[in-house]
Amino acid sequence: MNGTPRVLNRMLVLIFGAVVTVLGVFMVLLAAVPAVGSWWGAWAQTGSLEAGRAFANTWIPGTRVSWLWILAMAFLVAVILLMIWWMSQQGTGRRDLVAWSTAGTEHGSAETGEVPGRVAIAASTVDQALRTALAPRRDLLGTSVAAVEFEGRIALRLRVVARQGADPLEIAREVERLVSGMDLLLGHGCPVLLHIASGTRARFSRAERVR
Amino acid sequence: MSTDASQAQVDGRQQPDADGPAPDHGLALAVRRETSSGRVFAAALVALVVTLLCVYALLESTLQAIGQPAWIIDPETASRFVAGLPGGANAGVLGLLGVVVAVVGVGFVLLAVLPGRPGRRVLPSQRIAVVLDDEVLASALARRARTAATVRPEQVTVVVSHGEAIVNVRPTSGVPVRAEDVLAAVEDELKRLRPEPYPLLRVRVAGTGVIGA
Repeated sequence: MNGTPRVLNRMLVLIFGAVVTVLGVFMVLLAAVPAVGSWWGAWAQTGSLEAGRAFANTWIPGTRVSWLWILAMAFLVAVILLMIWWMSQQGTGRRDLVAWSTAGTEHGSAETGEVPGRVAIAASTVDQALRTALAPRRDLLGTSVAAVEFEGRIALRLRVVARQGADPLEIAREVERLVSGMDLLLGHGCPVLLHIASGTRARFSRAERVR
Repeated sequence: MSTDASQAQVDGRQQPDADGPAPDHGLALAVRRETSSGRVFAAALVALVVTLLCVYALLESTLQAIGQPAWIIDPETASRFVAGLPGGANAGVLGLLGVVVAVVGVGFVLLAVLPGRPGRRVLPSQRIAVVLDDEVLASALARRARTAATVRPEQVTVVVSHGEAIVNVRPTSGVPVRAEDVLAAVEDELKRLRPEPYPLLRVRVAGTGVIGA
């Protein structure tokens, strides 16, 4: 549950894979089939001649540099920037605030018992509360909470690492109870996703206490 | 000590009918994302490789443009080499390289097309959405199977794959373990947890026992 562009990931990986596959198959054909070799030789000959002519015709006046070449380099720079942007998109969507009051509600009045101002609830509040509440449980090795923007709403992603032999249903009920209490406490209910994981720590830690 | 090397195996029934109200956590899409793979690693690898190739091409072009000697190969020599290809290179090396490149490409295509399962399941719940790793489910089933068979933890292994959960029990020598009892206990645990997708349960009791356990 984050901003990873999954469809884009798969499409770009597919394009890359297809290009690399075609390249490899072409190399094999070039090496194995003489007809393909002779065709490639003839085609590449005329192709490179025409490319050379195109470069020679597009020199920038006064230099021996073709603007086609500069165009190609600009294209390479664009591809590099695109790739950096794509990598930066992986795993985004984390937020610092869980909830905040909108601009329209900041004018409170004394008659209604409301005080003017804005309220924002930080994700660390929820993080601390849930961590503290789950800390005494001996069947959990670790807890981490992240606020993530998902489908235009802020959702909580709660990841707990369970010890071997822990009862997942009981953990889920406990977290459900805690989240219901938190809804009452904060006056704001946000979607919560609980991920019960078995990390490497669970595999190498002593399991006797639970099972 | 048992001399019978054959093993007993019993299979469980299919999923019981789901009951209870529909969940209202509003995260159905998020749950589907959690239980499928996002191919972040493959994507990062592709981005890195493409970036490196582009940076190298830029470097060689720039070196040529400012009249410096090429680092590895200058663009003109490279294109001439590619144009005259089967001539200038060993056909065997070229073919082998082609096979490797094609296999890598097919691997990326498969990564992009196959669904990819990170080994997670959904537990039924109301207020919150619950996703658990298959290993957590396996260890919960193993604990229940161990108590049903009254053996030590090391004598029970549970393998949970996408479609089925296999419980292997090695009984203590001289103390018979009834596979039906273990199956009933583990099936009871599965019915209590009701994971989605619901695995088909298999219990195997090994014919040879463990001595002194």
